[in-house]
Amino acid sequence: MASLRVRQLLAPSRRWFSETVSGTPSPPDSPLYPPVVASITAKSKAAKSRRLQRFNQRVHAAATVEEKLRLYGKLQRPKYTVYPQTFALNADRWYRSFTKTVLVPGMPPRAAAAKAPVAAAGATPEAGRAPEPGVEAPGAAEAPGAAETPEPAVGAVPYLDIGELRSLACDALLQESFYQNKKRPFLYRDQDHTPGPFLTQLVSTLAASLSGRNPLLAASSLDLNPEVSYYWHHGEEVVVHGHRKGRVDPVRFQIDDNPHLQIRVPKQLPEVVPLESDLGDVPVIDHKPSKLPLFKKQYENKVFIGSKVADPCCYGHTQFHLLPDKLKRERFIRERLEDQIEVVYRSNGIASLFAWTAAQAMYQGFWSEADVTRPFVSQAVVTDGKYFAFFCYQLNTLALTAETIKNNPRKNICWSTDSKPLYDVVEDGNVKGFNDEVLLQLVRFLLNRPKEL
Amino acid sequence: VFPGVRQAQWLTKTKLVEGLPPAVQGVVDNPALGLQELEERAKHVVSHARLWDTAEAAPRREKYCPVLFENLIHVCRSLSAKYPSLSKRMLARNCRIAATWERESSLLQVRGLSGILMNSMTPLPPVASKEEILATKEHVLETFYPIAPTIDLQEVNVYKELNDTGQCFRDGYPYSHPHTLFFLESANVRTDRFRPEQLRAKMLMFAFGNALAKARVLHGNDPKVLEQPIVVQSIGTDGQLFQFMVFQLNTTDLVSNDGIKNLVWIDSDQNLYERAQCVPEIKKRVVTKPAGISGFQPDTFKKFLALYLHGTV
Repeated sequence: MASLRVRQLLAPSRRWFSETVSGTPSPPDSPLYPPVVASITAKSKAAKSRRLQRFNQRVHAAATVEEKLRLYGKLQRPKYTVYPQTFALNADRWYRSFTKTVLVPGMPPRAAAAKAPVAAAGATPEAGRAPEPGVEAPGAAEAPGAAETPEPAVGAVPYLDIGELRSLACDALLQESFYQNKKRPFLYRDQDHTPGPFLTQLVSTLAASLSGRNPLLAASSLDLNPEVSYYWHHGEEVVVHGHRKGRVDPVRFQIDDNPHLQIRVPKQLPEVVPLESDLGDVPVIDHKPSKLPLFKKQYENKVFIGSKVADPCCYGHTQFHLLPDKLKRERFIRERLEDQIEVVYRSNGIASLFAWTAAQAMYQGFWSEADVTRPFVSQAVVTDGKYFAFFCYQLNTLALTAETIKNNPRKNICWSTDSKPLYDVVEDGNVKGFNDEVLLQLVRFLLNRPKEL
Repeated sequence: VFPGVRQAQWLTKTKLVEGLPPAVQGVVDNPALGLQELEERAKHVVSHARLWDTAEAAPRREKYCPVLFENLIHVCRSLSAKYPSLSKRMLARNCRIAATWERESSLLQVRGLSGILMNSMTPLPPVASKEEILATKEHVLETFYPIAPTIDLQEVNVYKELNDTGQCFRDGYPYSHPHTLFFLESANVRTDRFRPEQLRAKMLMFAFGNALAKARVLHGNDPKVLEQPIVVQSIGTDGQLFQFMVFQLNTTDLVSNDGIKNLVWIDSDQNLYERAQCVPEIKKRVVTKPAGISGFQPDTFKKFLALYLHGTV
């Protein structure tokens, strides 16, 4: 309609314009008429894009981060609830496609300087696989179970006493599983009986004893059973039924996670690889997310890292997840789905860490239209009490919506290991088959800190 | 009926001393500990527990009381870099205590879940000197004539006299000495929580129970005066008010009313902060109470830390 009117105006004025060729006055400084833009309230694609632009401007112009978060999650529509701990088959491929994550097996290479206490002659194999308790251990380590091989001192003065840390871990394990008299575990709540308290004790005592070495841990905040949530859009779909049938809508996802334990710090962890690195491919899945299975629900769009924006400890360090009874290994083995055991760990790591790092980024004011300018790094340990799997996640991009993902070459990266047992069995007050490399990897995680500290 | 501590004193044959013992007070006043920097962390920790911990507007007591406790313990534990012997401690949750004793022809017992127990590998040194212990001989226990002192206690038929914290932990447990008991009154409804006086009495009874059980394990079941008194500390809180207690068991001879008594030092009703506002209170467009923690008392945190460090410093 607007174009017709313009043509009407032009037609009679063509003759008028050819007469006055010279002596045209200089064009006025400000335009005579307001800019011709699409309407706001019309039912057209131009109007919809204009409404979106106005919304984006409102969020950009928000004064505080709380206001930004409130506007970001204001509109409630049905969304897919993504559960990090899920029994769905091959869930980690789906989660990687939802969050644009590349999976890299093995732990990332770390600068030797940051890990000076543990490196022996600078040749620590980076994958964290080969056991190298490269320490001088004065005196005998009386820890039950594993034997200790004293390595020659490297010359770096602050050494890490693996024997003492091992005895701390064994004491925590023995107290929870052997020494303390507890009642029988509640039905299907085996995880709350022994592995849960063991994990809490282990992490709190290890963090306390390592806080001398890592000043970041000394200023950290330990949360027990916190909530972590994140809400985002990714991809587009057509609304299937209802009064909004036929419209093109973004696909909305929400993660509501409850890690067993998490450590938050006031300073950010350093980046592992530069922001624009490309370490692999993101799987592309042609099916609708509901095929995973994933179900839609409409409720509050929450973005939360574990505490509010005013907390100075606003960056994440490490999360610890405990797998519930429903996802224990024996169940998968019984149903002949052995390959899905690792999938459970991986999907938990990817989903939880994506939610946590993305929520941290939103707390700093970034969102899908204002992408992150520095990578956000966090770590996680997923365990079922005996088997531990380690994850490190680097968030490079938040721009996952249909418009912003078009020209976005960045991908998020997740490094992961397979699950390994910490010990074989606990018998008669002794821990048999204690695995030092798992403990070493845990210690490395806890000692991770920015380079200037 | 009675302020509970007085009744508990009679039941456990204890003499009350107000304030903390000089050994612990010395830890509080010791400037070498660097307690000033920790005050900043303590304030953050209180703000986290009371203001920032939840996605809703304000956390409820069931949430913020345990969170505050965990955060305070985390701050105290991070000092174990400075004092390595702090790592010889272990927290045990949900441990059941059971101890029985005879008191002037009535058999009493303490049973139940005793909150959170912190154990250490080394015992606490006695806080009272020998003279003070001997002086308790002269102290006369308050009686409540004509009311029987066992009023308001539940009468139960005991078929098996269970007696030790060894029932809570098996033999060979390396952290065998009870150090501090923590009690968290975290019920949301005020009537479900213990009032401060009752909380102090509960703390006294459980501390006594733990100490008695340990004494019976160490020295046998015969009632006698202990050469090495056993000290057990106790801290109780409802998220804002803290009660500190140090209990020293001098004797297991509890049948008679005279002789050496046990000692307890109680520092009661210490506020950690005055109020915690999540949203500022505005009356008639003027902010009357700004948001945040107001009236933070660093001394209470210092006492908490001193009780935690007692025995290693």
